[in-house]
Amino acid sequence: MIKFEKKNYIYKIYTWLPIIILFISVLNEFDLNYLNIDYFSFNFPFILIFYFALKEYNKFDYLLVFIAGLINDTVVGLPLGISSFSYIVVCIFASYLRNITIRPHLIKDWFYFLFVISLINSINYSILFLFFSYDLNIMFYIINNFFTFLLYIPSSMLLNYYLKAIND
Amino acid sequence: MASSRDDFIIAIRSAFLKKTTKQKFSLLTLVFLSIFIIFLSNLNFKIINNLRSVINEVVFRTSFIVSIPENFLINSYSKIIEYSTFYNNYQSNLKELESLKSKEISNEIIISENNELKDLIEDYRFSSDKILAKVIVDHDSPFLKTIIINKGSYDNIKIGTNIFDKSYLVGRVIDVNYKSSRVLLLSDLNSSVPVSITPGQVQAIIIGDGKDSAEIKYIKNNLVGDIQDQSIAYTSGTGSLFKSGIPVGRVNNNNNKFLIDFYSEFEQLKYVYAEIEKDEKSIENLDKSDTENILGISSSPEKIKLDILNEELKILSETNEKFLFENQLLKSQLSQTNEEINELQKKVEIQNKEISENIIDKKELSFLRLNLIYSSKCQKTAFKKGFKVGTPEYKECILRKGRKVND
Repeated sequence: MIKFEKKNYIYKIYTWLPIIILFISVLNEFDLNYLNIDYFSFNFPFILIFYFALKEYNKFDYLLVFIAGLINDTVVGLPLGISSFSYIVVCIFASYLRNITIRPHLIKDWFYFLFVISLINSINYSILFLFFSYDLNIMFYIINNFFTFLLYIPSSMLLNYYLKAIND
Repeated sequence: MASSRDDFIIAIRSAFLKKTTKQKFSLLTLVFLSIFIIFLSNLNFKIINNLRSVINEVVFRTSFIVSIPENFLINSYSKIIEYSTFYNNYQSNLKELESLKSKEISNEIIISENNELKDLIEDYRFSSDKILAKVIVDHDSPFLKTIIINKGSYDNIKIGTNIFDKSYLVGRVIDVNYKSSRVLLLSDLNSSVPVSITPGQVQAIIIGDGKDSAEIKYIKNNLVGDIQDQSIAYTSGTGSLFKSGIPVGRVNNNNNKFLIDFYSEFEQLKYVYAEIEKDEKSIENLDKSDTENILGISSSPEKIKLDILNEELKILSETNEKFLFENQLLKSQLSQTNEEINELQKKVEIQNKEISENIIDKKELSFLRLNLIYSSKCQKTAFKKGFKVGTPEYKECILRKGRKVND
């Protein structure tokens, strides 16, 4: 198990790792598209934001999440504010789930996550289609939604290890 | 019932408004802020556009830097693949090069002729320059097919500027910043290009399918039969969005669904050309020498033609040299053969002589043999009529074996 001296610089970087990864993933559009697997894509920022908002991780600042959304819009070429809105809505739903749950359960969180991302993707699609006249393939959204949902479990297992290392 | 509703309200309020020690803003504030930004981004104010440009510049550069490790890995992988197929590619490239070389000259002739014909019909021609631009961000998003290039308004790029890969159309600029621009690729769902399809000169509009090709749409039903598989699609210039005559791709008939396979591979784009229009004012302000240069550019078809003729001349002189060399070789071979013939003739003469001598000797021998037997019959004596020895009559008599002519 990884152990850190608490005043170490590496420890400080390690505590900020979720935000750093979030910024790298929005700047780099981390979705493994270059693998050229037909239709394969997933939204890693959604997984990251939902997980850390659910765990109420103190270094996961909502303002930084909001800025990450703005960056994502700039990189992808969407109207400014769309991704920020989506990320903040993910935070709200995660926060609500945290408040109403007494005994957290991974599978319940997983299906709740599916509901949240489906809702947000629907809102995104509607806004882009109705207000900005974007032509979008709904199949891509559905498949992206599905793979994001599938990858939540392995990602949350990995992130559990991260949080365990921090708490130890 | 009431308590469960209270719990729900408390949870909602807590989710929206509660700030932990580290959070500076509540989620509700951030939601309103994002809605406000969405609203602002829909408005076309100068300040907002400038602000957006600045954010774009910073984010694109940062994205380029952040993408370096990932791009390095992808490039390394593709290089390994390239090395493994290096020899086969080399062989096929050699073949392709041979065929392309022969096509190039005829293509240049066609281009110059085309320009001349355009001049004749006074077609509208852009006086434009192509500048090289580097692709700094290309994430191949499944939602929006766009790339970011490192040229912007500073380099005279405008919204709608045509972007090329070599001479093939790639897309057009949809968003311009000071030193960067966003290019909407032809494969994007929001991209539509008016094209002409040859053979048949069918006019159509192609719309990106969000993957790697485009679909032919907006075509009259009675003209569908005119479209053949592997027909060529090039821009028609209708609507003045794209310049006319730019090759786009080939038609692929997929179960009566006509798709366009682009000539250019958008995933492999590293450098592109942006066709910028010349500023008319700057042309007016140029001094004489520059004007001469411009005139030089305007007479470029003649120059191209001259170049082509020079090229042809060069090829002809090369072939001429080859023929001369072959001629000399043949001449030397011919003289050698003549010498051989003379020698052989001499030999034949000698042999003939020898043969004739041999025949004479044979005749003499037979005469002498007959002479021994019949000399008494032919020789002239005091008592006998005959011939004097050594005369031709005597010889004839001997050869007749002493018989008289009447006998």
